[in-house]
Amino acid sequence: MNNIFNVGLLLSAMRLATPLLLAALGGLFSERSGVINIALEGLMLAGAFTAAAVTWYAGSPWVGLASAVLAGAAIAGIHALACIRYRADQVVSGTAINILLTGVPALLSGAFFLSTGSTPQVPKEQLMPYTPIVIAAVLVPLTYYVLYYTPFGLRLRAVGENPEAADAAGVSVNGMRYAAVLISGALAGIGGAYLSIGQSSLFTRNMSAGRGFIALAALIFGKWRPVQTMLACLLFGFTEAVAIQLQGVHLFGGEEIPTQFVQIIPYVLTIVVLAGFIGTSRAPRALGIAYQKEK
Amino acid sequence: MKLKVLLVAVLVCSLLLAGTSCRQEIRADEKGKVRVGIVFDIGGKDDRSFNAAAYDGVKCAETGRHPDGKPCDKPSLGIMLRDVEPGNPTSIEPAMRAFAERGYDLIIGVGFAQAPIMEIVAKDYPNINFAIVDGASTLPNVASLVFKEHEGSYLVGMIAAKESKTGVLGFIGGMDIGLIHRFAVGYEEGAKAARPDAQVIVNYVGVTDGAWNNPGKGKELALAQIGKGADVIFTAAGNSGLGAFDAVEQAGKDAQGHATHFVIGVDSNQNGVKPGFVLTSMVKRVDNAVYQIVSDVVNKKFKGGFHTYGVESDGVGYAIDQFNQSLIQPDVIQQAEEAKRKIISGDIKVTDAMLK
Repeated sequence: MNNIFNVGLLLSAMRLATPLLLAALGGLFSERSGVINIALEGLMLAGAFTAAAVTWYAGSPWVGLASAVLAGAAIAGIHALACIRYRADQVVSGTAINILLTGVPALLSGAFFLSTGSTPQVPKEQLMPYTPIVIAAVLVPLTYYVLYYTPFGLRLRAVGENPEAADAAGVSVNGMRYAAVLISGALAGIGGAYLSIGQSSLFTRNMSAGRGFIALAALIFGKWRPVQTMLACLLFGFTEAVAIQLQGVHLFGGEEIPTQFVQIIPYVLTIVVLAGFIGTSRAPRALGIAYQKEK
Repeated sequence: MKLKVLLVAVLVCSLLLAGTSCRQEIRADEKGKVRVGIVFDIGGKDDRSFNAAAYDGVKCAETGRHPDGKPCDKPSLGIMLRDVEPGNPTSIEPAMRAFAERGYDLIIGVGFAQAPIMEIVAKDYPNINFAIVDGASTLPNVASLVFKEHEGSYLVGMIAAKESKTGVLGFIGGMDIGLIHRFAVGYEEGAKAARPDAQVIVNYVGVTDGAWNNPGKGKELALAQIGKGADVIFTAAGNSGLGAFDAVEQAGKDAQGHATHFVIGVDSNQNGVKPGFVLTSMVKRVDNAVYQIVSDVVNKKFKGGFHTYGVESDGVGYAIDQFNQSLIQPDVIQQAEEAKRKIISGDIKVTDAMLK
């Protein structure tokens, strides 16, 4: 036991939590403005592919990261257009984007690298193993400040809670929502970039492996608040790190603990929170409802 | 109205694009040639590992050249080749049926997961030859190309234990399934045979097919093993294994410029993926097996049933080349060769985890 809980475990937890946190903060902006964003998974894939492909060509992870931000925002733009301009069902639009992004990177990868499975490996010198972690860490207080202490944040929360009132006060509801969804794409794009050029060195198909949905769970678990969401992401990362350390370790008289037991803890907790056992997790009131100005 | 049209358009586009990777134009313009269709595993043909080896085999049969353009040591068989990389498990069966409907002469499925699907499809097309890599079928028109991975893993386990400084070895498998247990058990037996006090840490990336495409998790597992003292890590995890390559590279080199931690590649020769950090590769000559079955069909000698490849036919083994010959002591290679002879003669019996 004593060789399991060490500094390595904490570092591992931080690395595992970083992509979740970036995507979850992205989801926070979108959802606080009233737009459901289950497209986080697809947005991460967009960022991951773009970062790996551009870094490979440009030789600089910064260029790759910037491109991932743009790619995430561009794909989120589709979601925004469908949900805000055309008032489409936000869950359906998000699902469509997730399906779209299982195919598009493979298609582009096949066109550029003659391989639909994965991109070439980026050399170690061109990777960015720490920067996204720092970015994620800085983004938490920044998001907190923006959300609660700036006019932008006040308007963002207002259009998510009561768009009619915000509109009456002269706030452009749809303008705020466009901005929020684009920000969410940019942040999820950074999260994806961390997967491909931070944590590993290449893009492989569907490499986000459900992290976008886990980020969404963390967002709900964190009650749509930045600090709580960060704690939720850290918990999710920590349990996965523990599961990794426990794999194959024999405890309690030689019995091997199925690591799946450890890994389900965060999800069970999320359900418990949603069921209202540990406080209540209340979604922004206007979440999922497109805004139409009264004539 | 507008909204509905847009939604439908977005959905249709996304489904089409998601499907593009599995929908290749199959032209019937090359008449008279033996037509071969191959359906890859989820990893895709460029996983630098298992699928890449299968692709290499059919590419040599088609053009006489490797996918990178270098000539093969085997002649072109003048076949017409079409391949499909399924985007998800549900598109495997339609891909196989599409080949069968067009009357292909040989349809190759790559990966254990395709065996049950091929069983269904092959029953409907008894006059078409099928081959499954890593899977088993009793149908007369299906050739099962299987490998004694445990024997090759035994040999790299010996090399790993001899070259390890700490005596702690790592194993990272992709999916937690019988086929991969075979690698793990053989590796552990080889390691213990060479060094009875050797300790092997066995980890798996996951329990779904996503486990082959999660290099981030592969790297975390490798770093955790390194944290527990492992200095040689054998991967059998498709693209996820590449994360372990990154992990040993990150662990760095000592003052003399030698790597402190190593990986052992799998299926294809991966020695050149991170030169200096790859101790050796447990090569599984899927390329030879696939080439052979294509050649059987071309020469009208196709036989169903099991085609087993072990160390005796160099179907499995370890790779020594310019990238790793300085990493392994000559006497270690001698001992591995000795063990190989004993496996062939039956003096060493390696446990096959799939028979347990």
